[in-house]
Amino acid sequence: MSEYLLQMKGIDKNFSGVHALDHVDFAVRPGRVMCLAGENGCGKSTLVKIISGVYTKDEGEVYFEDKLVEHITPAEATRLGIQVIYQDLSIFPNLTVMENLAINSEITANRKLVNRKRWEATAKEALSKIGYDIDLNAKMGQLSVADKQLVAICRALLFNAKLIIMDEPTTALTKKEVDALFKTVRQLKDSGIAIMFIGHKIEEIFEIADDVCVMRNGKNVFLGETKGLERKDLIYYMTGREINDDFFVPENISEKPVLEVEHLGLKNKFEDVSFDLRKGEILGITGLLGSGRTELALALFGLEHPSEGTIKINGKEEKITSPIKAQNLKIGYVPEDRLTEGLCMEQPIADNIELASLKRLSKGGILKKKDILADAQKWVDTFKIKTDDARKKANTLSGGNQQKIVLSKWLANDLDILILNGPTVGVDIGAKQDIHHLVHELANEGLAVIIISDDLAEVVVNCSRVVVMKAGKIVGEMTGKDITEDNIREIIM
Amino acid sequence: MKELKKKYGYTFMLLILAAIVIVFFTLTKGKQFWKPTVWQGMMAQFPEYGIMALGLMFCFICGKMDMSFMMLADFATVMAVRYIVANVTEGMSNSQVGGVILVGVVIALAIAVVGGIINGLLVTQLNIPPVMATISMQMVWLGFSTALTRGDTVTGLPTLYTEIGHKQLFGFLPLPMLIFIVLFIISALVLKYTVYGEKIYMIGTNEKAAKFSGIDTTATIIKTYVLCDVFATIGALIMVSTMASAKADYGTSYVTRCILILVLAGVLPNGGMGKILNVLITILTIQIIATGVNLFPNLNTYYASLIWGGLLVIVLILSTRMVEGQLVLFKKKNPEAKSRKLYKND
Repeated sequence: MSEYLLQMKGIDKNFSGVHALDHVDFAVRPGRVMCLAGENGCGKSTLVKIISGVYTKDEGEVYFEDKLVEHITPAEATRLGIQVIYQDLSIFPNLTVMENLAINSEITANRKLVNRKRWEATAKEALSKIGYDIDLNAKMGQLSVADKQLVAICRALLFNAKLIIMDEPTTALTKKEVDALFKTVRQLKDSGIAIMFIGHKIEEIFEIADDVCVMRNGKNVFLGETKGLERKDLIYYMTGREINDDFFVPENISEKPVLEVEHLGLKNKFEDVSFDLRKGEILGITGLLGSGRTELALALFGLEHPSEGTIKINGKEEKITSPIKAQNLKIGYVPEDRLTEGLCMEQPIADNIELASLKRLSKGGILKKKDILADAQKWVDTFKIKTDDARKKANTLSGGNQQKIVLSKWLANDLDILILNGPTVGVDIGAKQDIHHLVHELANEGLAVIIISDDLAEVVVNCSRVVVMKAGKIVGEMTGKDITEDNIREIIM
Repeated sequence: MKELKKKYGYTFMLLILAAIVIVFFTLTKGKQFWKPTVWQGMMAQFPEYGIMALGLMFCFICGKMDMSFMMLADFATVMAVRYIVANVTEGMSNSQVGGVILVGVVIALAIAVVGGIINGLLVTQLNIPPVMATISMQMVWLGFSTALTRGDTVTGLPTLYTEIGHKQLFGFLPLPMLIFIVLFIISALVLKYTVYGEKIYMIGTNEKAAKFSGIDTTATIIKTYVLCDVFATIGALIMVSTMASAKADYGTSYVTRCILILVLAGVLPNGGMGKILNVLITILTIQIIATGVNLFPNLNTYYASLIWGGLLVIVLILSTRMVEGQLVLFKKKNPEAKSRKLYKND
């Protein structure tokens, strides 16, 4: 018996002309954490879907525990002990934790009647596998993403999983939750289960992975141990280019603040929040999920209505009652979730870019069609959005390029203040750097920028001043050299 | 060529469907089917519900549903007809009668506007799911008109009004059809060239993203319901003219028929999509089917519901198989392509 649990040799896959996987070799060893890394669209997901039996390979061989597996179907994959935990976790939000855990075995056993005791026993057994404690009767939909994930892991373990694949599990988690997740992962690893991580966060790869497989453009460019691998090399493997952290240095910060927030409060969300913002600076607002950072941003954009305190724009007190009002005050907001809040996916790229500029690009209610397309094309060019035609739909682009559309949408307006909420969530490292550089440029051209993020590395690199929020209050502020991940972490928890 | 195929692929499919329908009736009932009177009849019939379908199209593109438009339009026309009948006295000159009719029409349209605003407010301010809100309003309007009329037809319209439905301009163009053509052109221009048209496509695709982009979603949705209900009432005013009477539940089958037209035309109620050209082709095809079916004496009107309901089910099934304008009957060929969802999850 070889040392590998799963071995894949020369896997090839074509999708109507697109060479998604080009003779990829891949292997996972039991009791180890393997990270499958690469930028969006590099073929990671395709490879995982071949392992889990969703897609069939065109060429190549798959061995599981040294046995050649000819044809993998999802059912076959489950039987072999392969479990995939997708980003959406495939849970039933309206059912309780217990029901979610027990339902699969009940269905496999083809039982027709509900026996609460048996369900409870199954659920308890599942939870005990990772020593995780949660109210069995809690509704799944009301749990935090982190808890949902742990339940999903427990459910996977019920199938005697030998290989657990997790698709970008840390995307929606705070640092603390990530730590808890990693603790569980290490525990599973020690019990001999192989874990496969899909992700592109460099720090996390080094923290958790024993082995790493880097893919780029459908080929694997690196397969080996994390030990001895340099951070710089890993980034180079992933992007094919050198990436340096360029710290933001403000060049000209205006004398007068463009935004003054005084004792702003919103019931049960945040209270007594005061800060100001000048042109040319990038202010970071950071805090854990639920610290009130997003609600504060929404209040500045007219989507939440603060119950106390005042907001002054250019020294004048204003009530921001709606996004339309915010827009008139030259405030732009790039939302947290570009899928649900940022983009109309099935509509053309051009229409998405100009969505907030319809007033400027129309006359008497009639659209200036030519101007719209030309203006959009200008943004596609400046931002290097990867498309050959701005009339194509937004969902033809990768995450990073989609985020660039959302940014262009606001930059196409004449703005004073730009609020970015999680500007690079789910964006690959190359596009992430493009976005950071652009924000730096904009700030130095006189835009006032607020970055709201719990990605501390991002905050440190980009912000000239940082405000830390905790349980709805501002608990700390730091500027310049004091902004370090450690300093922030000290007060954030 | 490929681009052309992608852009007009579905239109082409609808044209083929229309051709199949025509060939079918030519082969089975050729002699009767190709009589000029039959085609004149068709031209006189489709405008009334064609206009309603155009109105509902705006709702669908905006991702909203309006089940109430027919009952609201019936109530509006009942009120209009009651006003006209009450105020036209013998010995009035033609222009005086015309004035009364005009006031009646304005009353009907005003009621439509109010109804549209109510629908819009229920949906945007109280966040009631559109289907629920408008089904309730449908019952309310039906209730109003039934209570007013005791379920009877309201008759006694002056000939000046009843003529509208039968009038032929230049000897061949029915007046209702002219009204339809004008409204069709206006709708087409609104969808393609106005800010409002752009907004409803974007709201229909992702209402939240539109709101987050500073679009006045509430006002736009209310406008859309008003537009839909005004169009429906214009259609009903024509219908009342041809029937020479108004009733609380005239045209109830038009609700299903309009939904059928839109879904078949690829304007699905989950919003953000739809071409008005396809709607036009579908309206005409449906009229040909309606007329053609009537040529079979065995298929009397008692089968109408069965035919329209059955067609709607078939079209709904097919529409879930539509991917990027191409019909995918067997999913195996293209496992990655997700079929279009008919309704949004949220």
